[in-house]
Parts: sequence; C-alpha cells; structure tokens
Amino acid sequence: MAQIIEARAVSKRFRQHRRFPGFLGALKTLVTAEYTEIEAVTDVSFAIAQGEAVGYLGPNGAGKSTMIKMMTGILVPSAGDLTVLGRVPHRERQANAREIGVVFGQRSQLWWDLPVRDSFELHREIYGIPRPRFDENLKSLSSLLDLEPFLERAVRQLSLGQRMRAEIVMALLHDPKILFLDEPTIGLDVVAKDAVRKFLSRVNRERGTTIILTTHDLQDIEEICPRLIMVDHSRLIFDGETAKLRTALGSARRLMLEFAADPGPLELKSARLTSDDGLRKHYLLERDDISLVHVLDEIGDTTALKDISIEEPNIEEVIRTFYQRRNAELPPR
Amino acid sequence: MSVYFAFARSAFLTQLAYRHEVWANMIGKLVQVFARVAIWVAIYGGTASIAGVSLEQMVTYALLGGAVTGAIRYESIISGIGQALRTGDVAVWLLKPASFPLYVLATELGRAAFRFVILVVPTVAVVAAVYGMLPPASPFHGVMFVAYGLLAYTIIALLSALFGLVAFWLLTSFSLEWMMQAILNLLSGQLIPFWFFPAPVAVIAAHLPFAWIVYYPSAVWLGRLDVTATLSYFGLGLGWAALLAVGVVLLWRQASTRIVVQGG
Repeated sequence: MAQIIEARAVSKRFRQHRRFPGFLGALKTLVTAEYTEIEAVTDVSFAIAQGEAVGYLGPNGAGKSTMIKMMTGILVPSAGDLTVLGRVPHRERQANAREIGVVFGQRSQLWWDLPVRDSFELHREIYGIPRPRFDENLKSLSSLLDLEPFLERAVRQLSLGQRMRAEIVMALLHDPKILFLDEPTIGLDVVAKDAVRKFLSRVNRERGTTIILTTHDLQDIEEICPRLIMVDHSRLIFDGETAKLRTALGSARRLMLEFAADPGPLELKSARLTSDDGLRKHYLLERDDISLVHVLDEIGDTTALKDISIEEPNIEEVIRTFYQRRNAELPPR
Repeated sequence: MSVYFAFARSAFLTQLAYRHEVWANMIGKLVQVFARVAIWVAIYGGTASIAGVSLEQMVTYALLGGAVTGAIRYESIISGIGQALRTGDVAVWLLKPASFPLYVLATELGRAAFRFVILVVPTVAVVAAVYGMLPPASPFHGVMFVAYGLLAYTIIALLSALFGLVAFWLLTSFSLEWMMQAILNLLSGQLIPFWFFPAPVAVIAAHLPFAWIVYYPSAVWLGRLDVTATLSYFGLGLGWAALLAVGVVLLWRQASTRIVVQGG
C-alpha cells in the first residue's frame, strides 16, 4: 500500500511574547520583546497508508491539533519533513486542500446564517464539484446521517449534534482522499456519538477514505481506528495496533478465580495475587505470554473451581495507569 | 472566479436574513446624509459661492461622497480579518482551496452591493429631493463617474485588505480600523473637499490613493476635471489599484506563513 502521509522528525515550536505579571509588569510587557519558546510537537515520525483509519491520541496540549494543522497546511513545521499525498502541505496548500476533508469539532465550517443546503452549494463552488457527483454524494451521505429533516434550516438554528453531522457530510462532498477529524464527537450525546462513529467506520470501509482522528473519547478510537498513534508532552510514545497498546504500555489483565470451597491461600507463579476473599481470589496477569492454560496447569486440581474469568483492561484504564505512572516518574513541568 | 461571485451573492442574500437591521440602517443612513448636507447649508449661510464652489455643487458633492463610503464598510473588512484571527477561524479558511483575502473582499463587495441598492440609492434620492442635486456636468462626465465609482470600490477594498492584513502581526484589528477611519476622513475628501485645503496639502492629497475614493468621483460628476484630466487621473487611479493589489498579494504571502491559530 502506498504511503500517503509521511512525517519525518517533524517539530513545531511557537514563540510567545513573554508577559510580566502585575500592573508594572503589563507596562513592561508593552516595551519588551522577550519570547519564550513552546515546543508543541517534537521529533514526530510516522507513515500512514491509503485506506487506514488512525486515531491520534494524547492529553490536552500534547500537540495533537498542531500536528493536524501541519498536515492540512495551516501551520508550517519548524523542522522535519512532512508530505501529504506527495506534497508539502503548506507550500501547496490549495492543491492539498482539494484532496482532503477536515472537520474541527470546535470550529464550524458551515456558513452561520445560511441554510445547510446553501452552505453545501458554496462548498460545491469552492471545490468545483461536478453537479451530478455532488447531487449523488449529497443524497447518499445525508440519508446515512439523516440530514434531510434540517437541510433547509439555517445553521445557527441547528443543535450541536445536527451541526456536527452537517459538518462531516460537507467535509466529504468533494470525495477527499483523506479525512481529518479533530475531536469530532466533542459535546455530542451518546446517540449522536454512536451515529457519527458508525458513519465514519462505514466511510472508511466503503469509500476507502483514509481517516485521521484526534479525540479524547477512547471509544471513538476503539470503534473506528485499528491503528493508534499516541503522543504526550509533544513526543510520540506509541504507534501501532490499538489492540496492542495494552501490551506496549504494560498493563496487566485481571484474573478472577471462584471456588466452591475455600482452598486456603493460593499463590501462583503465573499470576500475582492482589486480593483474597476466600472463595474469590483476584490476580493480575502481568506477562502477556501467560494464558489461562498456564494458570489451570499450575493449579492442577480444578475440581473445586466454580468459575473463572479474565478481564482485558479497557483502553481508558490502560492509558490512565500509563499517565499515572509517568506523572509519578516525571517531575512536573 | 465564479467561486468569488458565489461568495458575494451569498453575502448579499445573507443581509436579507436580518430584516430589522435593514430598516434600522436605513433610518441611520438617512440621518447621516441629512446631517452632512445640513452642515454645508449652515456653512454657506446664504453665501452664493465659496472659493468658486456654489452651495448646489457642494450639496451634490456631499451626496455623491457618501455613495461609495456609505455602501462599503472598510471597517468590516479589517475587523473581518481581525476577528478570523482572534477566534482562530482563519484556520478554517486556510483549509479551503480558495484565497482568504479574495473571500473577504468578495463578501464585503456583496454586502456593499446590497447596501448600495437598499440604503444608499434611496437615502440619497430622498435628501436630493429635499435639497436638490446637480446632474452630471456632461454625458462624458456621467459615464466616467460610473467608472470612477467602480475604481473607488476597488481601491477602498484593497486599502482595507492591506490594513487588515497588518492584523496578522498585531493580532488585533481595532487600532487599524481607527487609523483607517482617521486617514479616510481627511485624505479621501469625505469631510472636506480638497479645494478648501491649503494648496500644498491639496496637491499631495490629490495624488494619494485615498483621493480616488471620494474626491475624484464627485469632482468628475461636477465637471471640475476636463476631459484630459478626467482620463489621465483615471489612469493614475488604475496604477494605484494595481500597486495596492500587488501589496495585498505580497503581504498575504508573508502573513499566511506566520499564522498562529488561537483557541486550539
């Protein structure tokens, strides 16, 4: 598969005019030109192939949006090479723009005062979409996301969920090869989130549109993106299959054994005992190559065993434990 | 190019969405035009002519002067750019395969067309009916007035864009609006026509681009420029417009690489 996005050691620094606190400080700010540098993206490299769906994850201020803005050509990288569909985005911004679609969860691209349909029509003019293709896309996309009931309504009269669905449809009207979504489900209710996720998966599957998505909602990533890129403090810390994140970050699976009669204390080599309620014993499976078979082998006589369960920690838990551990290790910045 | 026409058209139509604002604007505009004419009537105070200009000519000048500046809002071009920067919406613009400055200009010209038809023409007609207004000095001057008027829109739009783009460095546009307003009031001839200026100042003002916004269109209508002067100053105005357009392009090229997207 061809790589359509390649980032090699991309960095982005912002210069911020230094402000001094207090009233005298404010006057000082007026005449000084001191700057502090903020590193938003540091030395990030990855490659994304056509047709992938990639989740770009990280806490607030980790540099997710900055990366999206560089890939869409809005911001210029301070260092490193970045190509999207073979182009340097900021140098060929308009050519790049024709082939990508972008949705910002916190920023509307629709025309506030115009009916949704008129916004779409302007979009058609801007991108020069041939009429038949436009009509076909509008029809199929808006029926998938149930836009018909409010196509004629002014954007300012829409609910957030309706507006978001309209934003996503608009971003796809010109058949972009890549769809960038920056927190597309932010502020949406459960039903709307679900509709958006199902729709995006389908677009990725059926239209082959490459999807790059940033979010705080891990469920978005689990449902849409088989691949995950995780950043923290401006650096890349994980790039791989979403399912493998747990292993990479070293989170343990949980094992629970329930007995008909209390067998007494039961220490295992394959799993670490965390709590013992007599009949129920909880363990952590810290190594990934240990399976249930190993555990049962070790117990030997399983006649007293009533129930057994292994729980995969959900992605949210994995990431939470990762951040907690990291915060304990790192001095606060 | 049809894209920018579509922007202008949708801006025109958007104005209709706020009906009450249209009426409020019309009343405001009417008072404004009356006031401007009333001031000149008071200054003349019965004198037939001052510096070779009759009251009738002066009233006509005041009415025509509002035709361009009454329709276009340079401050909304500047604040439009400023607001896009302040809210970070400029990012949305950079995502589109279209030029942001041209979008801002097309939108404002769409609104200007709306204001011209709905506000300027009716209010000027009402005030003209009350105080009287001179016809163009000759058919030639009448035709050239229209050409000068279009040039005036071009120049004020380009000037505003130039001022507005400076906001990319200042990250605020309010001071720029004030600066532009002060300059326009004095140097466009809107407040006082150049013929009342002291001679050296009048000569300088008459060659700066601001003069093409109010002074020249009105002066041409009144026949204060002969045929040769009318044509040569039109050429000079076109030269200014071209220069300003180049300035906008260069400044935008600089500005777009130093964008800071505020608000994430």
